[in-house]
Amino acid sequence: MSIKADVQLDCKGLACPMPIVKTKKAMNDVEDGQILEVQATDKGSIADLKAWSDSVGHQYIGTKEEDGVLLHYIRKSGDDHNVEQKYENTITNEELIDRATNGGIILDVREEAEYAFGHIEGSKSIPMGELENRLEELDKDQEIFVICRTGTRSDLAAQKLAEKGFTKVVNVLPGMSSWNGDLAKKL
Amino acid sequence: MSNKVAIIASNGGLFDAYKVFNIATAAAATEKEVAIFFTFEGLNLIHKQAMQQLPMPAGKEHFAEGFAKANVPSIPQLVEMAQEMGVKFIGCQMTMDVMNLTKEDFIDGIEVGGAVTFLEFAKDAAPTLTF
Repeated sequence: MSIKADVQLDCKGLACPMPIVKTKKAMNDVEDGQILEVQATDKGSIADLKAWSDSVGHQYIGTKEEDGVLLHYIRKSGDDHNVEQKYENTITNEELIDRATNGGIILDVREEAEYAFGHIEGSKSIPMGELENRLEELDKDQEIFVICRTGTRSDLAAQKLAEKGFTKVVNVLPGMSSWNGDLAKKL
Repeated sequence: MSNKVAIIASNGGLFDAYKVFNIATAAAATEKEVAIFFTFEGLNLIHKQAMQQLPMPAGKEHFAEGFAKANVPSIPQLVEMAQEMGVKFIGCQMTMDVMNLTKEDFIDGIEVGGAVTFLEFAKDAAPTLTF
């Protein structure tokens, strides 16, 4: 299945250092938090784009191969800024396992690409930006454990849900960046 | 952590040119401040005519096919990209004097300086590379 990206960049057939040079330029047109898909055939681009992302401060999400083309997913400025979390009802990653098996659902508000490369089995994906339009998919009577990568987006999502009349909402901290349990993929 | 990459280009073959400009453009794309000091035969890499047809090492001419097949950009293309991304080119004044070359013999946008010009840039660069 294809993974949703906000911007796509064609680097097929290009040799090093072109995929990096073009990715750097393309990133200028990507907004913070959006996903860039880099299509490349240079096998070195797997290691290079990961190192490049780490070095420049973007979030390298993962790479998948499709018909001989490498599809790399990078989220711009993946470092969620150190915003103070405001939503008060929180639990830790460790507590989540026990709590969620008691009839609650885990709501993953990261981008679809981040979810695809590793999420908690059974969790539901609604990216933060789509939440407002997809509220009818959620049950107000059910406990909702909201998770993202570092707790920032899930904090905003929890606030949004509370505002919309959801009362049983819990933010999971710190989030997927330090998740030690099993990961399911959807590639 | 240093945000500078300093490169000395002292050889004038096609392979040398790729080593220099691939590292330089990759570093610039990684938001590093990059300067290349061109000295002795390294000056070929930015010489208006010489850079258009840099020699392969003797006996390695068959690599030409590999370069074409791998779709590797040409040296003038890499040079243009490097300059676009702000890589600083410094020509070595002393070598230019020895070889009787002037700034006009080289591509636009280069600086000319002595060893200290480069050393000043390189003093807090990591890494410094020599090709």
